[in-house]
Amino acid sequence: MNTLKKYSFLILALSVFVSCKKDKDPVANNINLHFNNTFKDKTIVLGDAASSTATVNASANGQVHHFSELKYVISNIRVIKADGTAIPYNINNLDEGATVINQAKAQSLDYVLGNIPVGEYKQIKFGLGVKADLNTLNEAKFPKFYAAAGANDTKMMWEWGAGYRFTKIEGFYDTDNKTLSIHTGSTVEGTNGDEATYTQGVDAYRDITLSLPKLAVVGKNAPKITIKADFDKLLSGKTNTIALGGDNAVPSVHTAVNMVKYVDNLGGNGTSDLSGMFSIASVKN
Amino acid sequence: MKKIVFLTALFCTLYACKRDDIAAPFKFDNPEISLKIPEGFPTLNNAIENNKPTKYGVQLGEKLFHDTRLSANNTVSCASCHKQGNAFADNNIQALGIEGRVGLRNVPPIQNMAFMKFYNWDGAKLALENQVLVPIITHEEMNSSILEVVDKIKNDSEYKVLFKKAFGDDAVKQERIYRSIAQYEYTLISANSKYDRVKLKGEQFTESEARGYQAFKVKCESCHSTELFTDQSFRNVGFPLNPSTEEAGRARVSGAEADFMRFRVPSLRNAEYTAPYGSFGQFATLMDVLDYFDKSVLDADNLDPILKQNGNRIPLSAQEKQDIISFIKTLSDKDFVGR
Repeated sequence: MNTLKKYSFLILALSVFVSCKKDKDPVANNINLHFNNTFKDKTIVLGDAASSTATVNASANGQVHHFSELKYVISNIRVIKADGTAIPYNINNLDEGATVINQAKAQSLDYVLGNIPVGEYKQIKFGLGVKADLNTLNEAKFPKFYAAAGANDTKMMWEWGAGYRFTKIEGFYDTDNKTLSIHTGSTVEGTNGDEATYTQGVDAYRDITLSLPKLAVVGKNAPKITIKADFDKLLSGKTNTIALGGDNAVPSVHTAVNMVKYVDNLGGNGTSDLSGMFSIASVKN
Repeated sequence: MKKIVFLTALFCTLYACKRDDIAAPFKFDNPEISLKIPEGFPTLNNAIENNKPTKYGVQLGEKLFHDTRLSANNTVSCASCHKQGNAFADNNIQALGIEGRVGLRNVPPIQNMAFMKFYNWDGAKLALENQVLVPIITHEEMNSSILEVVDKIKNDSEYKVLFKKAFGDDAVKQERIYRSIAQYEYTLISANSKYDRVKLKGEQFTESEARGYQAFKVKCESCHSTELFTDQSFRNVGFPLNPSTEEAGRARVSGAEADFMRFRVPSLRNAEYTAPYGSFGQFATLMDVLDYFDKSVLDADNLDPILKQNGNRIPLSAQEKQDIISFIKTLSDKDFVGR
């Protein structure tokens, strides 16, 4: 009995010591990402054709539109320390490092980056979509992400392209609520990830770089970074101004035709524009 | 000490005996099958270099090709749409998948795939190994997933034997499914039609077939060239348009406006068995196709220049049409379709 007591005390002391140490000096903590999907500054409310509550936006061309469905894939996340060191977050593991943001599911708008080394961070980079070398619908390799993307209420697969959909937007435009349906994804063929071998197709993956307005400090606290995705840019982007149903855009994009215009608006053109519709709304330490 | 040595020796001996008894050494003997390349055919697709058909790989692929467990509700196999009697196509207007779901396009025949550079109507795939997954997961086709398929067949003793013979161990893996089905498809070579025998073995065309061949050379061969009877290019020939927003022809893949509603020129081998015709089965018969070309096709900015130069049509007399169809029927390979 005596021995047991002794041991219990020791274990207790040890746990206290360990927890103290953790409290005082963590080596890593979370970064909480929150995605706020908006039309300009208004958070989007989804709705069907006749909805009176859906957020309605007007394009630069004066075309009103609203969405009934809004989803996109975020992957290849990297956070950059003040000194320039990049901390990749499971960038080659879709199960642990990629997610489908779905405006219809509130919990999908928050994504926690776990185990980020303590320090000060000045920048975040991520991909809109899935980079080519992972965009193969490999169920055996990434069963979690495959299941999440393929779920009946998500449908983020482009089966014929044997890849994921990167964005899926359903909605209505003009005052008579004509159907709008814009899907993006990649159709590149070649040795995955090796651009020199690409023989055909379009890569709809876009790498996003966002500088933080103030340093995010990972330490005792986990910072929260709110990323704004302004879908006003879909039709009225930095790269293209699109008039739906006009000469330059069919309102239903389910193939690579016309797709790149939307991709460049949403995710930037990869050269002069590396942010597309994304910006940092706030950093809370 | 002696005792221990003795015991150890005894144990080793016993152990060795036992091992020999249960695991008779598996001799991995799976010879490559050399593909017979018919005279005048184009060169092999490069993908074959990395996936050479083997005796058991092909056997395994054939079994998988005919297995309805590849579909979610075990009703549809590859062979349900790709029927041998129809040159591994079928006679439906558009493909029919599980629960009677209608696909986007007409089922293409699976023949002479080893010599093709592009697969599908839009050339979305350049290697058969990458195509296998597509029908398995497509909602309108098999609506399954590759792990679902693996789960269903992994304990099947016949498959275990075949996977072992084909790949050295009995693990049922996705890549092995892709590779073996592709291997089987590489062996589906059709080159024993009357046309081939006329060319190589001195058989004679009938008068109508001979006239048809001459007319074919003038009116059809610019696109349906080579011994495959396709130049494997993508062209907009002004056929009636598929109204689905999923359809853009070659542009679905390339994204280029210039490729809008361009489709891969289909081979005419075994065309007799693959009605209806066109990317979504627009034409019930070969005569319908020729009548349409004769009358006039739909105009488009990217309509094929050959048609544009001829006033958006291919003028054909009634006699020419009959004769061309007679000739096309000489491309039928009865051995290949098992008729």
